[in-house]
Amino acid sequence: MDAMAHTDQISMPGSAPLTEANEVKIAARGVDVFYGKNHAIKNVDVDIEDKTVTAFIGPSGCGKSTFLRCLNRMNDTIDIARVEGDILLDGEDIYDKRVDPVQLRARVGMVFQKPNPFPKSIYDNVAYGPRIHGLTRNKAELDDIVEASLRRAALWDEAKDRLKESGTGMSGGQQQRLCIARAVATQPEVLLMDEPCSALDPIATAQIEELIDELRQNFCVVIVTHSMQQAARVSQKTAFFHLGEMVEYGDTEKIFNSPEDKRTESYITGRIG
Amino acid sequence: MSFGTLILAVIVIAAGAFFLSRRKVLGLADGDRRRLHSLPHYHGMHALLLAAVPALLLLFAWSVLQPVVVDRTAVSHLSGENYDTSGERSLAMSEVRRVADAIDGLIKGGKLNSDDLDGLSIDDLGRRLEETGIPVLADVPPQILDSARTYRSASAAGDLIKIGLVLLLALAGAAYGYSVAHPDLRARNRTEMGVRALLVAAACVAILTTFGIVLSLLFNTIEFFRIYPAHEFFLNLTWSPSFGGGSDLGIIPLLWGTLYISFIALLVAVPLGLFSAIYLAEYAHPKFRSVAKPLLEVLTGIPTIVYGLFALLIVGPALSSVYGRGGLGWMPSDTAVITAGLVMGIMLIPFVSSLSDDVINAVPQSMRDGSYGLGATKSETVRKVIVPAALPGIVGAILLAASRAIGETMIVVLGAGAAARMSLNPFEAMTTVTAKIVSQLTGDADFASPEALVAFALGMTLFVVTLGLNIVALAIVRRYREQYE
Repeated sequence: MDAMAHTDQISMPGSAPLTEANEVKIAARGVDVFYGKNHAIKNVDVDIEDKTVTAFIGPSGCGKSTFLRCLNRMNDTIDIARVEGDILLDGEDIYDKRVDPVQLRARVGMVFQKPNPFPKSIYDNVAYGPRIHGLTRNKAELDDIVEASLRRAALWDEAKDRLKESGTGMSGGQQQRLCIARAVATQPEVLLMDEPCSALDPIATAQIEELIDELRQNFCVVIVTHSMQQAARVSQKTAFFHLGEMVEYGDTEKIFNSPEDKRTESYITGRIG
Repeated sequence: MSFGTLILAVIVIAAGAFFLSRRKVLGLADGDRRRLHSLPHYHGMHALLLAAVPALLLLFAWSVLQPVVVDRTAVSHLSGENYDTSGERSLAMSEVRRVADAIDGLIKGGKLNSDDLDGLSIDDLGRRLEETGIPVLADVPPQILDSARTYRSASAAGDLIKIGLVLLLALAGAAYGYSVAHPDLRARNRTEMGVRALLVAAACVAILTTFGIVLSLLFNTIEFFRIYPAHEFFLNLTWSPSFGGGSDLGIIPLLWGTLYISFIALLVAVPLGLFSAIYLAEYAHPKFRSVAKPLLEVLTGIPTIVYGLFALLIVGPALSSVYGRGGLGWMPSDTAVITAGLVMGIMLIPFVSSLSDDVINAVPQSMRDGSYGLGATKSETVRKVIVPAALPGIVGAILLAASRAIGETMIVVLGAGAAARMSLNPFEAMTTVTAKIVSQLTGDADFASPEALVAFALGMTLFVVTLGLNIVALAIVRRYREQYE
């Protein structure tokens, strides 16, 4: 029972109990992923809600990042990866032949583990998505989108005087917020974040976490994290993955305070992982 | 004792020092190698280096200096009006060496006893030399013969002293190395220093040789400008050397030809090379790439003379049949700027594509992920992210290709023609700096004439141009390399 005592100490500002369930944005049914012969994801069912932060937690190699990359078909760029089962975005199968993965990725944006700004100016980094998708009619509109995206990524005040400077010259935390701004500028519906803070120091991490909480108002956010405290702080729903299976999925508070599965309890109390 | 035997003797002595020192050290440590400062073979190596290196250095220094000293003693016998200028003296010295060699041949053949040599009269010796059929002057002048005698005795003495000193030094080094061998000796550190010195020496040889080449170019260029005005060379618009004198040696038509042909070559090589690099790096299946890339790189190893033949025998006639007299009539002959340019471009494709492929591959995968994650297509990612990120490297590759094009010779000799001409028509024959260097030096002109010396000035100009391009290319590559990670 020391498990309960331990998890009680974790503070959870972001995980206030939800009064009503949001509508389902992404529904996965019986998803299996193979890397060559390796069965990386085994029969995962999950409903991810809109305007919610959903956290995927689990030990290294458990498949949480792999599953995240299925949600915008980034696994398509890996030759040996094969995805089976259905993943529905707003009720539409994203692996349907008629769906263009390129357009899908415009709707489902992604932020990566390591900040990866392009070696271009800050402005061009943010304007990248709107330009390739033709979201604006003129320069003024583009300026507006860039400003709004940088504001939304809490980077405007730091970046507004150096929009022409290279994005690679910023600090790590700023670079990651620039990548978030870049993803937001494409006006996606879903934002996938693959361990977005693992390369950052604690202060930058706190800024990003605050930002994620704000992004919830407009987007469906899915975040993969190694840090259970982070999952507890930022998410409302949590899914625990172990050895390719999704062991447990539910309200964050419930997962951390009264997990149903033994394995979940062991992981969050630090006994496996 | 010949040179080879002497080296072998030094090696034997050094090897002996190695084994003896190793045994001594192990003996002092009661056979327990843990009590040694360094591993046993380092102790042996220390003695080996002490024995071999000074002895071999002396041997090489002596071998370089001895002929100079011997020549100087021998030349002192040559005096009189026939041997006033240095040219005459050096001619006589080569005769002296031949006579000395002939005497050596006589002695070796048993026809002459070396003890009899001093008593032999000049006529007698001359007759004997004639009998052997060794080609020497029919009547050897007495001075030459005297000189040859001195030459032989000085060489013999020098060889003897050399052998003695080298062996002595090797033995002394071996003895010293053996005497200082001790378990506490920092043999490993000293051996490391020896290795370091060896590597530094190797690097110095390469650098000094380059300096030597540049200096010889420079001195001959200065010599050229002494007899031919520099402003004529750089500003004159005609190139018409005539070996009778009064030539026009303006570099501009040659530079024009060089740059025009290089430009056409790059026009062919850059797009094709870059596109194939992008295909290989971004689109091709890894299996295809692993076969195709080495194949492309093999193409860079084809000797340029083969490309030259290709230009001369296939490309030139093919172009001529369309654009020449039989066709459109623009092309007076098979050899033309376009022929050489096209073939040179083909030669440079693998060069550009291999280097570009490397830099494109060096762009981190996270850049591609970031772009795909935003919904960009493959070609958008290539155009907007990968090529800009790899651009410094690509520019570097292009500049390196350009400097190769400028320095290319054989394709031009065979494909571009020999007429120094300034024209905008790519179907005309023109020629380049490199081709003219070849033709100026392969004639039988007097080496001191401006027509021959101009080759050095041309070479120097070429050197400066390609060096500048290489420096710019390296600077660009280095300046922008750290833009990502």
